[in-house]
Amino acid sequence: MGSPLPDAMKPEMPAEQVSMTYHDGTSRTVYDTGIERPYPDGKLIVSRTDLNGVLTHVNDAFVEISGYDVDELIGKQHYILRHPDMPKAAYKDLWATAAAGQKWHGYVKNLCKDGSHYWVYATVVPNVRRGETVGYTSVRRKPSRSKIDAAIAQYAQMKQDEEG
Amino acid sequence: MTTHNMLIAPDFSPERFAGWHMFNTLIQKRANLNMHLNIPASQAEQQGIINQGDIQVIYANPFDAATLIREQGYRAVARPIGKSDEMVITAAANSDINSLEDIKAGATVAMADNRDVKLIGLRLLEAVDIAEADLNWTVTETYQAAARQVIKGDAQVAFFMAEIFHSFSRLTKAQLSVLIESDLADISHVLLIKDGFPDTDILMDAILNLHNDDDGKEALAELGMPQGFEAMDEEDAEFMIDLMQTLLD
Repeated sequence: MGSPLPDAMKPEMPAEQVSMTYHDGTSRTVYDTGIERPYPDGKLIVSRTDLNGVLTHVNDAFVEISGYDVDELIGKQHYILRHPDMPKAAYKDLWATAAAGQKWHGYVKNLCKDGSHYWVYATVVPNVRRGETVGYTSVRRKPSRSKIDAAIAQYAQMKQDEEG
Repeated sequence: MTTHNMLIAPDFSPERFAGWHMFNTLIQKRANLNMHLNIPASQAEQQGIINQGDIQVIYANPFDAATLIREQGYRAVARPIGKSDEMVITAAANSDINSLEDIKAGATVAMADNRDVKLIGLRLLEAVDIAEADLNWTVTETYQAAARQVIKGDAQVAFFMAEIFHSFSRLTKAQLSVLIESDLADISHVLLIKDGFPDTDILMDAILNLHNDDDGKEALAELGMPQGFEAMDEEDAEFMIDLMQTLLD
């Protein structure tokens, strides 16, 4: 399943400290500076995971925007990118859809190593080889500002509902 | 000696035409094969030829490759090194469209008939909330004709294969402004071989070694592939197909 993630480094700039607990029961401390990184124009951000969500491939655009080195990503759980503003239900839907062999689309706010973030329109497809799913490919494209604004509102409501 | 058939996808720059003939001449000589070169003029003609069932080797665009591999019994064996399939969106240099954000619903796009260029262009326009139905489409005979339409103001935007755009004259390019150029990197044309093709090894040997001598280098230069071809395995091809599946909607 990959090794548990260490706590994030505290950024030098002001940042909200958040404790994240993931679906596998592990926890880590992350920081949210609220700073948005622009999506790289014209590029796709690509990664692959195994069936357990462990990163097996990341492309250059993925590495660059995430702020991590390749070695800090490969072998780690994909949730290393999870931003505290993202509702759990969004990921639950993603994994349930992909595990059922279907394509998943959605808007995602990802957390960078330094506590900044970036928005993507993500598509996840199962990697089917000889009839068997062996992993997942996720490809992100640049989302429009209007779609990001709509997602911010929707996810805030979902988070509120989750936290009761 | 049996004659095999090779087909080249029609979406290459006209200046590469001689290169494909040089390529075919060389690999026939080096692999000691008879290979008939098929260069269809359109996507529809390509499909018709493939459906006749006697094409053993295809230089296919990535979107066709997906179907050919998964449904029609071909496998990917090689791809050009450092030559990914990219596209460019342009406006007229003297127009008031200076960025993708300036493209408004109702604008007319001029482009040659190339669904891959269109698909990738539409994915890039999602970022400014423009979808296919928001635009008017003018399909031109050639990419040069699409350039003329946008320069004359008959269309507001033109889509091009990046390689073709970059081959335009300096004068043409000076009259166009690039709004965005894709940098997808992982998607390229691929060389496919039909399952059961008996001479795969000698053909591959000839193709993968083209860059090792002057005649081969000359043919590759004509094809705009100076680094030559690299071998692909089944998983390389499946990875690219998975990636392309994500771009279809």
